Amino acid sequence: MGLRVTELTFLENFAKPYEIPAPRYLTAEAKLADIKAALESWNDEAIVKPDILLGKRGKAGAIVKVKNAYEALKEMRRIANMEINGVMTRTAYIVESIPAKMEMFTALTYNTAFLGPSLTVSLSGGMDIEEVREDQKVTIPVDVFKGLNAYEAGDVLTKLGCPKGLISAVSKALISFWDLFITTGMQQAEINPWRITPQGQVYACDFKAIIDTSNYKSNIPGVEFPEYPENKSDFEEEMHKWDESSHQGQAHVSDLHGTKILPLLFGGGASTIIIETLDAAGGSPLFLSDFGGNPPYERMYGTAKICFKHTLANAKLLLILGGKANNTFIDVTFQAIADALLNYVEEKGPISIPVVIGRGGPRLVKGILAMKQALEYLRLPYVIFGPETPVTMVAEYAAKLVNALPQVKEVQQ
Amino acid sequence: MRATTLSGLLKKGDRVAVSNITGREASKVSTVSHEYCGNIVGGWALGKGGQKIESANGTIAVFATFEELLKMTPTEKHPNKILIYSPPPAVYGEVKEVVTHGEKCVETIFIVTEHVSIEVTAKISKICSEANIDVIGCNTLGMINTHDGVRIGAVGGDNPAETFQPGSVTVISNSGNMVNTISSYVASSGMRISYGISTGKDRLILLPMKDLLTLVEKDEKTKIVVLYIEPGGTYEHDAIEMMKSKNFSKPLVVYVAGEIAERHNVSLGHAGAVVEGKRSSASAKKQAFDEYFGIESFKPDRRYKKNEEEMKGKLTRGIRVETLHDIPKAIMLVADTLGIKRDMTAIKPLKLNPWFVHLGELGKQLPAEVSIDVGTIPSPYAEQFEAHSQSFLEGMIRQPMRNASHASSNDGVTPRVYGYSLMEVMERCSFPAAVILYWTGELPKDAFEEKLAEMTLIASLTNGPGTISAQGAKLSASAGNSPNTAMIATLASMGFVHGGNGSEAVKFLVSSFKDEEMVDPYNYTINLQELAVRVADSFKESKNAAKAAGVEYSKIPCLGHPVFKNDPVNFDPREKVISSYLKNAGKKNAFLEFYHYLATALRDNGSTKVVMAVNVDAAIACVWLGICWQRIHEKQMTITRATDIPFLAFALGRVAGGAGEYLDHRDFGTDMDMRVTVEECKVLSRPRNLKSSQLMR
Repeated sequence: MGLRVTELTFLENFAKPYEIPAPRYLTAEAKLADIKAALESWNDEAIVKPDILLGKRGKAGAIVKVKNAYEALKEMRRIANMEINGVMTRTAYIVESIPAKMEMFTALTYNTAFLGPSLTVSLSGGMDIEEVREDQKVTIPVDVFKGLNAYEAGDVLTKLGCPKGLISAVSKALISFWDLFITTGMQQAEINPWRITPQGQVYACDFKAIIDTSNYKSNIPGVEFPEYPENKSDFEEEMHKWDESSHQGQAHVSDLHGTKILPLLFGGGASTIIIETLDAAGGSPLFLSDFGGNPPYERMYGTAKICFKHTLANAKLLLILGGKANNTFIDVTFQAIADALLNYVEEKGPISIPVVIGRGGPRLVKGILAMKQALEYLRLPYVIFGPETPVTMVAEYAAKLVNALPQVKEVQQ
Repeated sequence: MRATTLSGLLKKGDRVAVSNITGREASKVSTVSHEYCGNIVGGWALGKGGQKIESANGTIAVFATFEELLKMTPTEKHPNKILIYSPPPAVYGEVKEVVTHGEKCVETIFIVTEHVSIEVTAKISKICSEANIDVIGCNTLGMINTHDGVRIGAVGGDNPAETFQPGSVTVISNSGNMVNTISSYVASSGMRISYGISTGKDRLILLPMKDLLTLVEKDEKTKIVVLYIEPGGTYEHDAIEMMKSKNFSKPLVVYVAGEIAERHNVSLGHAGAVVEGKRSSASAKKQAFDEYFGIESFKPDRRYKKNEEEMKGKLTRGIRVETLHDIPKAIMLVADTLGIKRDMTAIKPLKLNPWFVHLGELGKQLPAEVSIDVGTIPSPYAEQFEAHSQSFLEGMIRQPMRNASHASSNDGVTPRVYGYSLMEVMERCSFPAAVILYWTGELPKDAFEEKLAEMTLIASLTNGPGTISAQGAKLSASAGNSPNTAMIATLASMGFVHGGNGSEAVKFLVSSFKDEEMVDPYNYTINLQELAVRVADSFKESKNAAKAAGVEYSKIPCLGHPVFKNDPVNFDPREKVISSYLKNAGKKNAFLEFYHYLATALRDNGSTKVVMAVNVDAAIACVWLGICWQRIHEKQMTITRATDIPFLAFALGRVAGGAGEYLDHRDFGTDMDMRVTVEECKVLSRPRNLKSSQLMR
């Protein structure tokens, strides 16, 4: 679980307390007079940027150089209302333009090769790090207990051929970057680029990070993270809140905007495989789901209820599918789904879609009997498989069945 | 000490200690593990020291801390494997305690806990690496070693032996569920499992793929390795580098999931299944494996030439599959081409095997390929269905009902019975109609049904002051009890012999009608006379057999009456009223008709000398079963409920009758007048004296 941090949040909350040199800035609330005054002191050159949870803002034309206050105000208004690749901008802000004789890329992350934190540095700042040649970037492990030392940062910079006169200032900035990273529970953070002025001053000119919300340090006193207009549906939003309300069992959904199969899927691995199979076989799943972690009855009932509330009316087939569970009680989860289905019909009226089920695990037989009873009561057609039929075969069958349904065929014709 | 072989991670004789063992999941998993292999030496949980966890294979002791566990356990039983089940904030502290105190004995720590922060995971990796301890997880499900018959964690669920039998295939999976699921499919390739290992799929996997495969390389039992892989991290690329550089000798069958995340902007279930950089994507991993194998992914329809040397060369390193259910076929291809012996001769290919198909009208409109026929439920599920379906029909699936009720509700404004406002029921329904609603969940279908129910309640009021239940009320009044106690005395004087016979009649009727396709007991086509003759003959047969064996035989409930028994054809007058009402209404209750036919058939086949009276208990049972039958047929009511209702109907009527006896007795009786005098009591035993040795001091 991660909380994404943008440059504006960094400028407002972190740059100063952590003594990370960064350009001066003004937010969208700034008055014309303030912008005028700022531009005067910034040598009449500034950059307007969008505050958005998206990379590559420059390529989308959302980062614009401005030379006077009117232009700045106009661009701030335009950019604040921009939608970039389907993502809405939260607000816009204006930063001082920093002249540079050199740019640098840095990233702190947890590295799967070292199984601990690592620092990556390249003097090709401003570029996507994957596009930088291997011999032009250096990654070193950082001791999670001791942290990044100035001499380690200095060694990396020397290796990359950083001018000697800059090493001290840049190393100091990197230590501050590490302090921010480790004290706020970040799982990855990138400053790209650092711009180094002809006078040798270092500025963090862009920032992005993800804070690990599983880390107790992520509750940073005095910092309120802004809410971004995320492209989440009401369904995703409600399920996300429900999931966060308890650690018992997981309830994760992502809208796929399909039109046919409502999939209630169990297990992180199985759900991925099943969705891929449905997608490939033309099952057009409405969403991706991953439920599991042996949810108690109330959790599973709530989860199924949210799914049915948002999607059952549009579904042509209900698929309840998972692998052979190790520790999830099938009778508990199936009874909860059955009750949520009964509750839906009681509230919204009868439904008439086929139901395909496949599952294995503890107390399977009781679970299937509970589900069967509910489906017979609701007079819904069904096909039920046990654990010896692979989930991928069941998913392929469900896709074939939904496409053979008279009402689906009619639409397709 | 870190493992140098696969069995070094888990083998027979290993001693497991479990953190937070009293937790919901930990205690369940530990119990199953201990019953499967008895390898748990103890557990610990703060504040729970001194508790015990019972299992069929002995008791598991619970200590307050890991340190205390070590102090209280003999050195030879000190744990060498640790299973961490603590909540996320406690995990680092638990591991630190284990490392501090268990440095001499602990070899491997398995961390099941989800949502452990990445910083803590990195710290765990560091301190355990310095202490020379292997860590599997976080978010692992554990591991199983089938040749040694041992497991740690929840791999294999509540019946590990069902899926995991000793064989030659090791399954390593990013998903815990997939260890179990894939292993269960592997059997269809004629192979069985040597090890099942869940690596966990957090961002940091503390025993990475390359390290695990290094251990697999040395394992003699493992001939083929199946890998289940998700996006995120570069573990597989590192493993491929290792395999290339060390000429890894064992063939792999690889399934990579999660390419969908590249097509749709969705996040997958596991925390670490996040694409960061091109190399960590599913497509990059697929490509890397295909390059390593040197052969394109497995094509199920292709005819591979298994005997050709060229094919042998191509499959030496293994092959990738595109879909999960091709794993067994790919295993067979690899095994046959490379000359790896199968673990079993019998092979049952994977196929669609529906356990239940009920497509109804829809099935007629579907093409044959999707309108499938029901398959075969394999053992042990078939037996379990057989055993469960009977009990299932007799009782719905249960849930905690402490603060829940289907029957009534009150939202603070309106008390309701099965959703109907009590006030509306008061205004518009009779008492019997309200009782039918409360007992069956539905209002009576018509006034006829309502009247019949009312007649059963009236019929139950009394059969004179001498009946046992009326006597109960009178005794209570005589003792000076309050009205409610007298009603309790009436109820307490009922039992399966007096009042409860209606329930027995329902059981008898359900059993007699179980094979008949009757939906409406007032509108049926079955030949009741023939059914009665069959039941009567079957009764005669079992009666004769019991007599020949000199044992008691089961009587047919609710036939006969202590008073009305001497005529050639006998009637209970209260039953007769109900029969007449039915006749006048032009209706026939199938159950009551059947009872009458049965009484005659029993006389005709010589089981009885006269046509016995169908008594009022039978009539009550037939009326109420008539009300319940359709709901039972539609599986909206349990048979248990339908069995209880006639008894309750009798009790409800009779408790009102008992109240009448109490009121009468209180007004006109004298205190203690129900007492039986000493003179009236018969002495059936002789006086005896206690011996001095029997005196209690």
